Amino acid sequence: MTHLTPDELLDAMEGMLATDRQAHLAACDECRRQLNDLENALNDAKHASVPEPSPLFWNHFSTRVNEAIDAQPAGGLPQWLRWQMLLPLGAAAILVLALLLSMPQQEQPDTIEANVSAAAETLTAPDDNWVMVATLVGDLDLDAAAETGVIEPGVAERAVLTLTAEEQQELTRLLKAELTRAKS
Amino acid sequence: MSHDSALALRQWTMPVVKPLTELGDEELVTAAAAGSREAFDVIVERHRRAVYQVCYRFMNNHEDASDLAQDAFVRAWKGMKNFKGQSALSTWLYRIAVNVCLNRKSAKAAITEPIESTERFEDVRIEGAQQKMLREERAVAVRHAIASLPEKQRATLILRTYHDLSHQQIAEVLGSSVGAVKANFFHALNNLKKILGTAP
Repeated sequence: MTHLTPDELLDAMEGMLATDRQAHLAACDECRRQLNDLENALNDAKHASVPEPSPLFWNHFSTRVNEAIDAQPAGGLPQWLRWQMLLPLGAAAILVLALLLSMPQQEQPDTIEANVSAAAETLTAPDDNWVMVATLVGDLDLDAAAETGVIEPGVAERAVLTLTAEEQQELTRLLKAELTRAKS
Repeated sequence: MSHDSALALRQWTMPVVKPLTELGDEELVTAAAAGSREAFDVIVERHRRAVYQVCYRFMNNHEDASDLAQDAFVRAWKGMKNFKGQSALSTWLYRIAVNVCLNRKSAKAAITEPIESTERFEDVRIEGAQQKMLREERAVAVRHAIASLPEKQRATLILRTYHDLSHQQIAEVLGSSVGAVKANFFHALNNLKKILGTAP
């Protein structure tokens, strides 16, 4: 029969060895010697007590623990960063963001100016179609055109009225520039 | 209503408040987790010696054992809300103490107490005193031998021998298997025998 395994030796030491293995142990000098060595080592360990600190040490120990706890920084995140606070804050932030995104966007003055300038540039460099139209209507009087029904009376005024304040401002600037250029 | 019956009614309706020192560990943990420092003080008083001894056997000197036991209780206070009672409070505290010791050991080599007490004093004539001295010599040698064991073997030997934890409980404390714990215990005892066998 095989010798006791380390597990079985521990079981034997703790009085939990299976009956059939106990028969082997009783008959095997080598296993008994190993078991005896383990028991002696355990017995030595059990008798090695820890030196008792002075009663004064125990009196101070609890105080030291309490002082060390008090000296600890407040645990974890600051109060305002805890989830109880972050959750409503996050919800509010999402709500504000959603409102901002759902609002109709107003073009920035800079963007309008850029668009108008680009349009002006195209006007200063007209294509062939525009030259043909300009040639055809070049000498046409606006009032005469209105009378003949070429353009609807008051259409220019209504167009100006639909412009935004920034567009009107830009139109004024362009007209003034054109007048200055015509005078010179 | 007579005076006696009024008194009996009052005693029946008034909640009986037990002193903290009479509460069980479970009740103390509940109170401490809710923020009661008084309840935690009682836990410290109740378990400080055992936690200190785990640390002492690990480090083999009073200074480190004292610091580490204190550190273990500070961590216990901070983690009290996470203790769900899956194990006994003492087992949980041992786990913290062992972890604190393992962390310290990895950062710093163990400083063991001087071994002067093993020096022989030939002029001691009283038999009882000699016996006591021999026992103390042997205890010092054993403590040194335990302190020199590999960490897992040392932790297993300490928890099994001095704190009566089962192999299963030690496995939980050390985060290993029962098989590994048994193997560590076996090797710890064998190594202890070898070290003590070669000790002067």
